[in-house]
Amino acid sequence: MDFLNPVINGFAVVLEPTNLLYCLVGVVIGMLIGVLPGLGPAATIAILLPLTYGVEPVTAIIMLAGIFYGAQYGGTITSVLLRLPGEASSVVTVFDGYQLAKQGKAGTALGLAAIGSFVGGTAAIIGLTFLAPLVAGFALDFGPPEYTALALLGILLVATISSGAKAKALIAAALGLLLATVGRDIFTGESRFTFGSLQLADGIDFVPIAMGIFGLGEILYNLEERHRAAKAPSKVANVWPSRGDLKQASGAVGRGSVLGFFLGILPGGGATIASMASYAMEKKRAKQPERFGKGAPEGVAGPETANNAAATSSFIPLLTLGIPANATMALMFGALLIQGVTPGPGLVEEDPELFWGVVNSMYIGNILLLIMSLPLVGIFVRILRVRAAILAPITALITLLGAYTINNSMFDVTLVVVFGVVGYLMKKFGYEPGPLVLAFVLGELLESSMRRSLLTFGGDPFGFFGRPISATLLVVFVLVAVLPFIRSAIAKRRTVSTPTAARPDIKEKV
Amino acid sequence: MKHFPSRRTVLGAASAITLLALTACGNVAGGASNSAEYPSGPINLTVGQAAGGSTDLIARALAEGASKTLGQPMPVVNKPGANGALATKEVAGKPADGQELVLLTASLITITPLAVTPDEAVNIDDLDIIAGLSQDDYVLVASPESGFKSFKDVTDAGRNVTFGTTGVGTGSQLAQTVLFKQANVTGTDIPFDSGKPALTAVMGNQVELATIQLGEAMPQIEAGKVSPLLVFSEDRNSFLPDTPSAKEAGYDVPVAQYRAVAAPKGTPQEVKDKLLEAFQETFKSDAYKEFNEKNMLTPKELSGEEVVEEWKGYAAKYKELVEKYDISLSGNK
Repeated sequence: MDFLNPVINGFAVVLEPTNLLYCLVGVVIGMLIGVLPGLGPAATIAILLPLTYGVEPVTAIIMLAGIFYGAQYGGTITSVLLRLPGEASSVVTVFDGYQLAKQGKAGTALGLAAIGSFVGGTAAIIGLTFLAPLVAGFALDFGPPEYTALALLGILLVATISSGAKAKALIAAALGLLLATVGRDIFTGESRFTFGSLQLADGIDFVPIAMGIFGLGEILYNLEERHRAAKAPSKVANVWPSRGDLKQASGAVGRGSVLGFFLGILPGGGATIASMASYAMEKKRAKQPERFGKGAPEGVAGPETANNAAATSSFIPLLTLGIPANATMALMFGALLIQGVTPGPGLVEEDPELFWGVVNSMYIGNILLLIMSLPLVGIFVRILRVRAAILAPITALITLLGAYTINNSMFDVTLVVVFGVVGYLMKKFGYEPGPLVLAFVLGELLESSMRRSLLTFGGDPFGFFGRPISATLLVVFVLVAVLPFIRSAIAKRRTVSTPTAARPDIKEKV
Repeated sequence: MKHFPSRRTVLGAASAITLLALTACGNVAGGASNSAEYPSGPINLTVGQAAGGSTDLIARALAEGASKTLGQPMPVVNKPGANGALATKEVAGKPADGQELVLLTASLITITPLAVTPDEAVNIDDLDIIAGLSQDDYVLVASPESGFKSFKDVTDAGRNVTFGTTGVGTGSQLAQTVLFKQANVTGTDIPFDSGKPALTAVMGNQVELATIQLGEAMPQIEAGKVSPLLVFSEDRNSFLPDTPSAKEAGYDVPVAQYRAVAAPKGTPQEVKDKLLEAFQETFKSDAYKEFNEKNMLTPKELSGEEVVEEWKGYAAKYKELVEKYDISLSGNK
């Protein structure tokens, strides 16, 4: 068990008082902002990113992970108490959570959610601890061809799995790919779409895009939404769920952990899909499905466990491969880059202290969350009483100040404003911002890796199949691309029972 | 606890934070010019590279020493973009009162103009060079599986080799393309974003060769994961005494990264003298010497005039080499 040594050293890093403090601050602030409707983990990180510039990389990332957890749980609080899901991954929590609150069992619902989150998160971290060194063992085998295949697979999964309209997701992804081409071509030095501006010579930075689309865009959009006046929340008592409730929920927690863990690893997956899948699964398994929607404890415990497990396991592709699985992870990716840390297969080896520090801080973050969340619930909910007219300008100002401080550049501030408007319009017209941001990140990787690979292969595209890892990934890519067609073909055959119609030239469509 | 954050407290806390942030910014922007009493306020040292890179580290080591002598803080301001051109052009346009300095890299003056359009290039005559700092050498390394142990192995191999560079228009690219032309080696140029990914590609055997800055490559050389073949400095590097220089091997490619501090054109002589004095004081300090040692930097503490002369010489030399061997730094032929 030699590889556990760095893991243990990681705990030493986390337990340094400064890091503990930042973790705590992250969790609390994350919850604070996460409580605001519409501002989910991605927006919270985008807004709070500037807080982390001045501190050590490990500390910064520990804090960000704390913010991430806090924001995740903040959304749950409002779902249960006010029927306002703070973010997409706690939408399903509303169904049973609010019913429980109406029955005077708000404390039970929040307690179950906190315990579920803790168990799910912890299970996923254990998975991460064992899986990461395994992946890292292949670190040096990951060259440009492997990254090409990974990026292709990532973009495909983002486009096919994302919630909402497929066409719109594809449009957003295409826009992201287009934005990724801006800047000096790194292979020829040719300027692309820079309009002669030196400011654009290095391309558009990821952070202003994310801050604009997730931060400012969300703030603008929320201003337009008329908030329902926050009523005084129901009394929160008996936070510790009764033994009966716990027993009822324990199965859901277990299943949610496993389900969430696996959905979180998939590119394009993540907390939202995990929570929905878990709710559906619990309802299907239940002996009396009619209880769901009327305050079933499993309906809260399952999805909340799954979304936290998924949120944690989505760190795996980010930290071990440098591939963000969803929009929130794309932001984490940006935050790491600002700190001068490039996530990738080499990270575990090159900077074990940082890697394990971050991973282990997740345990601590989860524990802090469990301890902090319940007593503070009432306080956070009161923030909702502050008028949006006051909160929105403050958050917008913090975002813009933060954008300036990254590169000391007014140009970046302008970019944030421009992308803020873009994000607002996208949201208004039903375009998910996630595919745009992910395609932007992966687009850069895809282009440079593919051109680099082709150079090493001497221009031979079949070279990708000559390497075991890239070949495997490409086969998976083809399977994922073809599967929906096959499935719909089979479905068609079953319903119409005329087999002639169901033989499309599937391969061509890839 | 019943009436915890009332609207007023939240508002108060938020405005306090904002105010704090604003004053912090104001501090950096402040500093009126008064050449009678120089320095009249904090001296900004702008770096055209991201925080954490070698150029940034040099700036910070220098600023720490110089600010003590000058009795004023010297904050390092990172403005990455276009290889440093953005920051340099910005500082060149600031008032010439010595309150705004830039850390200049030689490649921006000597090599980048070979790859970009003339109006994107930086002209050294738009700046007053205060002092030269150090020399950062490039080393040619080979992957373990390539079997190359010396540069002779490469020339003897008689086949196409793949080599990584740290980007288009960098010393890494120039040094290798010129070297291979001189040695009649055919190679495929594969640009990476910076030194680290290029080094990783060599270690993982995705490319056979790469030219990387010594400080970056050293840990892997010492670990035996890559083999050093040549250094591109005119003499052997003291940190790598067993590796021959390109000149020794019979090639004419003197490429290294040099760095200097510059101020906007027209800075008063007494201001320049005062700055130079402060920098020279820093050069003598143990902390700064140790810093150079640790980062494998060879001190090259020249006067401003010497820097201009030397860099212009290199620029002319590189231009001549590129034209002689018909090399285009932009684009693969």
